[in-house]
Amino acid sequence: MTDQTDLEKYNYDKFVPENFMPWMRFDESPNLGEQAPDFPLWHAETGEETSLSAIWSANLYTIVEFGSFT
Amino acid sequence: MNGIADKYAADNVGSIFLYTNEAHPGEIMPPLLSMEQKFEHALKLRDIYGVTRPIMLDSLDGACHRRYGSMPNMTWIFNRSGIPIYKSDWSDANSVDNAIAYYLDVATRRRNKERLAPFKVERLDYRNQDQEQFYAGLARNGPRAVTEFRDAF
Repeated sequence: MTDQTDLEKYNYDKFVPENFMPWMRFDESPNLGEQAPDFPLWHAETGEETSLSAIWSANLYTIVEFGSFT
Repeated sequence: MNGIADKYAADNVGSIFLYTNEAHPGEIMPPLLSMEQKFEHALKLRDIYGVTRPIMLDSLDGACHRRYGSMPNMTWIFNRSGIPIYKSDWSDANSVDNAIAYYLDVATRRRNKERLAPFKVERLDYRNQDQEQFYAGLARNGPRAVTEFRDAF
């Protein structure tokens, strides 16, 4: 997903069902017990690029809470 | 969730907050238009809500968030090999605490040479619903966020 329209759809401007409901896809998320997909991430304080795999490989277990200010 | 991170840090349990899109944008906290803005919002989250865990940003198009189901405040637990062993469509410290305590016990049992095989469990967990605090949070985003949430449900 790279075009501007899709970016705007994901970063919707109004909390109305037609904007947020299409993104509620927990049932389609990765399965437990199977290798998880990896993605680049950026540290909020330093801007340094890392990856989800670098984070999960650093500890016995890793808790990842998804969210935002709003 | 900060307390859970602190509670288990010495047990080799890592914990991060992964910044996504704005679920309830408003006049004060508008939708994200750039990575620069996403960094600004993440630091506001740290400063205003007191998130002490490392905050990591997803890409602006939410590639990671979308692949993991796009829920606004979900929690996942991974083992060191990158296998998800817990996922919840909402974040709740009691649920995560319960899960981590169980998995640390699994690690202990393995060290004690028990032969363990994974299996899948489904269950419903229960979280507190603090409506007053939730609406106070919406108001911080801007009046429109409050109105839109009331209209949506």
